[in-house]
Amino acid sequence: MKISIKMISIATTFLWLFLITFCVSVAYSIKDVQFNFEEPNVSVTKKNELLFSLPISIFNKGYYNIDSFNLTTKVLDRESFTLACQSTFVPVIEKNKRTIVNHTVTVNFNDLLQNSQDYLFNDTELKLYMIVGMKLADVIPVQVSTNLSLPWGAPLYNFTIGKIRYGVDNATRVKATIPISFENHAPFDLNGTVKIKIYNNNDVFLGDGETSIEAPQGSSYQDYVEVSVKNAETISDSGRLEVYIQTSLFSYGPMVISYG
Amino acid sequence: MDEKSIGFKERLRRITLKILKATIKAALLYGVYFVLSMFLAPISDVVPGFQQMVETFVTVYLFLMILGEITSGTVFQHFFGAAKALFVILYLIFSLNGGVITLYFQGAQLMVDIRLFLMVAILLSLLGFAKSVLQAINFLNEKAQMESLKF
Repeated sequence: MKISIKMISIATTFLWLFLITFCVSVAYSIKDVQFNFEEPNVSVTKKNELLFSLPISIFNKGYYNIDSFNLTTKVLDRESFTLACQSTFVPVIEKNKRTIVNHTVTVNFNDLLQNSQDYLFNDTELKLYMIVGMKLADVIPVQVSTNLSLPWGAPLYNFTIGKIRYGVDNATRVKATIPISFENHAPFDLNGTVKIKIYNNNDVFLGDGETSIEAPQGSSYQDYVEVSVKNAETISDSGRLEVYIQTSLFSYGPMVISYG
Repeated sequence: MDEKSIGFKERLRRITLKILKATIKAALLYGVYFVLSMFLAPISDVVPGFQQMVETFVTVYLFLMILGEITSGTVFQHFFGAAKALFVILYLIFSLNGGVITLYFQGAQLMVDIRLFLMVAILLSLLGFAKSVLQAINFLNEKAQMESLKF
C-alpha cells in the first residue's frame, strides 16, 4: 500500500505543478497580446448601404495560439431596435505573428429611417454592443463585451427653407425662388436631388421645381429651388410646401412645411 | 519505542521537533506565497477582493498544514490531510464561482470560463483526499499489526 500511496503523491505533485505552470503561463501569455484598433472607415456599398470598416491589428506575442477569435458588433438605435449585426471570425491567431482583421458592419439607411426620421435632421447617438470572444491556449474561453455609444451626424442637419421670393419668369409665368440650406454632419457625402411642390392656402397646386444637391461630409450646403408658377393669380401669401429628397442612400418625402 | 514508556524529555524533544518542522514548512510556504503575491499584484488591481481571497486560502491552508505536522505520527495527521484536500475543493468551487468568472472593468464585462481547470483541480484534490484516506487506513493497519505482534 505504501508504494501506491507514494505513487499517488508523486503523480499528484507533478500534475499540480503542471496545472499551476500552465495557468501562470496562460495568464502571462494574455499580457503579451496586443490589440490595436485602427481608424474606422465609412463608405457606401454598391447596394447603397453604409459600410463601417474597422481594421484590428492583433500581435500575439504570447506562448499559445489564440483560437476561435470572434468579434460581433450590434448597432442599435435609441429604441434598441437592431439596425445591424455582424460577426468576424478568425479560426487561429498564431503565436508570434501579427494578424490583421477587418471587421465590417453594414447599416441600411432606410432601416434607420423607418424607426425615426429624426436621424436625417438631428445629430444623435446610436448604441453599439461589441462582443469579443476567443479561446486561449485551446481550453480557456474568454469573452469581453461592452456597450458603446456611436455619435450619429445628421446628413440634413438644420434643414431650413428660406422665404419664398417671386419674380417674373416670362410674360405668362411667375418664378418662385425657394432658398434651402443644411449642414451635412453624416460620415458620408450626400449626392442627390431636392424636389419642392408648392400649394397655396386653398390646396391648389402651383408648380414644382428640382435642384441637385452635392454636399461633402462636414460641409454646409446653400442653394435654391426655382419653381415656375403658371397662374400668378393662384399665388397666396400662405400655403404649404412638399419637399422630396432623393439620394443614393435614401429617399425621403413628402416633408410638409407651411409658409407665410 | 512504546509511547507510554518514553520519558518527559523525549516527548518534549519530539514535540519541539514537530513544531520546528511545522514552522519551517509554514515559513517556506509563506515565502512561496510572498514571492507569488508580487506577481499577482497586478491582478489584485483588476479583481476586487482577490488579495483577501488568496490570503484567506493561505491562512486556512497553513493552519491545516501546521496541525497536520504537529499531529504527525498519529491518525489525525491524515484527517488533517483529508480536510486540507476537501478545503481546497470547496474553496476552488466557491471562489471561482463554479468556473465561470465575470469581471467588470472600465465599462466592459469580462467573462472567463475556467471550468476545465476547475474540474482538473477538483480531480487532483480528490486524488489528494483519496491519498489521505489510504494513508489513514495504512496507518491504522500498521498499528493493528504492531499491537497484534505484541500479544
